[in-house]
Amino acid sequence: MPGIFGVYPFGEGRENWSASRFLYFGLSALQGRGQEIASVALFDAEKKVFNIITEKGLVDDLFRDGRKFPTSFLGLGLVSAFEDDGIIEIKSPKKLVLAGDGKPLLHKEKAKAFRILAEMVSKKLVAAKDSIEAVAELLSEVRGGFSFIAITENQEMICARDKMGLKPLEVGAVGFDLGAVASETCALDVIGASHTGSIKPAEVVIFDPLSIRRKAIPSSKKAHCSFEYVYLARPDSYIGNTSVYEARERIGEILAEESPTNGDVVIGVPETALPFAVAYSRAAKIPNKLGFTRTGRHMRTALKPTQFERISGVQLKLNPIRSAIDRKEIILIDDSIVRGNTLKNTVLNMKRKGAKKVHVRVGSPALIAECPYGVDVPPKDELIGRSVSDKEVAQIIGADSFAYLSTEGLAKAIGLPRKELCMGCFTGQYPEKIE
Amino acid sequence: MKILGVGGGGREHAIAEKLCMSEYSPKIYWISEYTNPGVNAICRSTKGEHIRGSTIDPEKVVEFAKKVKPDFTFVGPEEPNFHGVADALEKEGIQCIGAKKAVAVIEMSKAEMRRLQWKYDIKGKLLFKTFRSSEEAYSTLDKYSKTLTWLQNVALKPARQAGGKGVKVIEDRQIYLHDEKQKFKSRHFDWLEGYMKPYADVEDKILVEENVWGPEYTLHCFTDGKNVVGMPMVQDNKNAHEFDIGTETGGMGSISGPGNVLPFLTEDEYKESLEIVKSMVMAIQDMTGETYHGIVAGQMMLTEIEGPTVIEMYSRLGDPEALNVMGMLESDLVDIALAILDGKLKNSDVKFNNKAVVVKALSPKGYPDYRELAKNHPIEADEKAIQKKGAKLYWASVDNDGKKTITMGSRAVEIAAVADDLPTASRIVESCIDYVKLTDGWQMYHRSDIGTKELIAKRQDLAERARSLYLQRKQNGTLGKRTDWLPGVGRVDPVQNLKKELLSG
Repeated sequence: MPGIFGVYPFGEGRENWSASRFLYFGLSALQGRGQEIASVALFDAEKKVFNIITEKGLVDDLFRDGRKFPTSFLGLGLVSAFEDDGIIEIKSPKKLVLAGDGKPLLHKEKAKAFRILAEMVSKKLVAAKDSIEAVAELLSEVRGGFSFIAITENQEMICARDKMGLKPLEVGAVGFDLGAVASETCALDVIGASHTGSIKPAEVVIFDPLSIRRKAIPSSKKAHCSFEYVYLARPDSYIGNTSVYEARERIGEILAEESPTNGDVVIGVPETALPFAVAYSRAAKIPNKLGFTRTGRHMRTALKPTQFERISGVQLKLNPIRSAIDRKEIILIDDSIVRGNTLKNTVLNMKRKGAKKVHVRVGSPALIAECPYGVDVPPKDELIGRSVSDKEVAQIIGADSFAYLSTEGLAKAIGLPRKELCMGCFTGQYPEKIE
Repeated sequence: MKILGVGGGGREHAIAEKLCMSEYSPKIYWISEYTNPGVNAICRSTKGEHIRGSTIDPEKVVEFAKKVKPDFTFVGPEEPNFHGVADALEKEGIQCIGAKKAVAVIEMSKAEMRRLQWKYDIKGKLLFKTFRSSEEAYSTLDKYSKTLTWLQNVALKPARQAGGKGVKVIEDRQIYLHDEKQKFKSRHFDWLEGYMKPYADVEDKILVEENVWGPEYTLHCFTDGKNVVGMPMVQDNKNAHEFDIGTETGGMGSISGPGNVLPFLTEDEYKESLEIVKSMVMAIQDMTGETYHGIVAGQMMLTEIEGPTVIEMYSRLGDPEALNVMGMLESDLVDIALAILDGKLKNSDVKFNNKAVVVKALSPKGYPDYRELAKNHPIEADEKAIQKKGAKLYWASVDNDGKKTITMGSRAVEIAAVADDLPTASRIVESCIDYVKLTDGWQMYHRSDIGTKELIAKRQDLAERARSLYLQRKQNGTLGKRTDWLPGVGRVDPVQNLKKELLSG
């Protein structure tokens, strides 16, 4: 689930802009989508080559003090939770760089699947008379859920979403000068761009120095990734016209409706579940309190590769505020539950600090199946929601009651028809046949 | 009756068409640098004549006018106004719908326009500063770069109307991108200085205005110098490309209707805007002692700080906005012209229909910044097929040598459709795009998003946000007020400061 970002200047004097500054801030905003690798590709217009710079870790590690970036007005970047991900470079027949989110169903391994996709783009661009027809043809052929941004040696920036529109891609403008394309609108906000539209499912948009062209192929049935709304996207982002924050508030409201319980205080597990808790509290008329304080920098614990990093991450992230929980019956809201280990730790901690009871409510349905589109869901036998009933989950994590959000509840919260959402990780049913 | 027209673009094609539809059945004569096949055909069909000639050389226009002896002249573009074509014609006793040089200053000098507005304290103002050199502009901005004054978030413009080029809007609110944006401002000042070198008719070269946000619209009016009669509001789309991205153009397409007020604006906003344009006309007449005969327009924005706000003034119809208002005009344009020239223009003389009009421009790739690339491509259009779809093609930046038509580097054609609502009109125009082709294979581009439900909803959203803020200001008495805090200096009132500066200067 990488975050991808591209920036494109227009008009006389376009070469005066420096892409790396915008990439730095844009990618920083997308950091929540992955913290294991950061990479940028900057186009050298004189030599017609791409300079790719990659660093394991955060965007700040990539743009560390003193590092010199080649001068360039045109570039793209990526952050990801997988070290294998990165910007793919194809040298021939058409030289290009490509950054992708999701996964085209072209190979078992994600990085290889995107490499094959990039090779296909490169070949088709050379074979076809018109770039936009070439990429449209590619979209109609390739199965899977993905979006990508590519830049070619001819200074074309190609942006596309798969037929189902699984992964988002949003468009923004800075004055009369710059266009920008990003996985999320928060990246547009931080560079001072206004969000002026979305690339549609099954649509190709090509920026070239003299124009922006769009072409849509017939869309198959739509399948937007519901996990974006629950966890991946930042709450200040919009996916199309839907506010992620509002969707998360509705999740909280629906949780309160679906699984009411007694309690003295509602507490959200930072960061993602905080809006769930705010809305749950309002709907249930039970006060909401901050229950935890963070030590160290913001970390997306669920995306960390090892169990050790996840639990130590959560423990650092979630130091309970004792006075908020002592001698109280707590309704604890979390965004998702994978193996239950981190939640078990949290409940235990709260009880040691004086919580009388802890009722756990999760703002998404049980995770029961893998994601064929690149979200890192652990093997099936590790998923607590797959084989264990709600009651048993409560026992395992030491909670006094436990409930998930229903799939219908999630669809209602997102506000899109159920049949236009991919809920594969919650249902094991995918929008297309998966081998 | 004989009428002489001046100018050769899409706007002039629309004006010529409207004139020839008149009950007076006038013979249409025209002068323009290039041959617009649309205008040319109208001249021939009315047994008039088109000649090629400079429209900014008053002598050339007068020479042709003396030969034609028209009942009146109708000037399309702004440059003939700036060069005194109306003045020269009137000296020869030929009446003219077109602003005289003195009053056309309202458009020619963006700096003079703003000074006039402040001097006469007309609503809808913006803070501004003018500079004679890049060096002067940059050092002033740099001096204030560490303090939070309006000088950070600015529009940089050539101080004179210069073909709609050279405007940059730099919203410099992210302190972490400030260096990058400051660097860009400085480079653009240099560019502006160079760009303005050929224009010796103004002293100020660079205009810096406070940057504002909100939906833009144009309010065109007819005026005889006493009465100012409003036309339906039009919204032009200045960004070259889809998603409101890209270089500023003369306009890639425009929407109007249904009715006088755009769907995202209000009746009150229409009235206030009209008052502002009226006041500007009265002010420029008062200052110059000249009578304003013809067309005046406010290129406006609904802003959070002022409500309806003047961005620029036009001394003519906008292009392509002219196609919108001409498409909606029900009255006889010749009657209106005669009323203006008689000084007896009344509201009742000017009637518009309640339709919606969408206009889209088709430009060869290269427009607006790389015009050499956009030039000299042979172009063909199936005008009959377009008519069948319910739209109409207007020729714009092209030249016809009698055999073939070639592009001249700007918007080559404009297609207009009239319908009951905007999205329908937009769809009609879209269905016509493929009927226009460059026969050498060079590509053209246009904006498919103009007039769509989606884009109108975006404008609506923007308008509602600006409106709720300016109405609140109106209520609590802070409309138009600005206050800054300069560390080490204290509270600063930029409005008062500007007023003092203008009085002393």
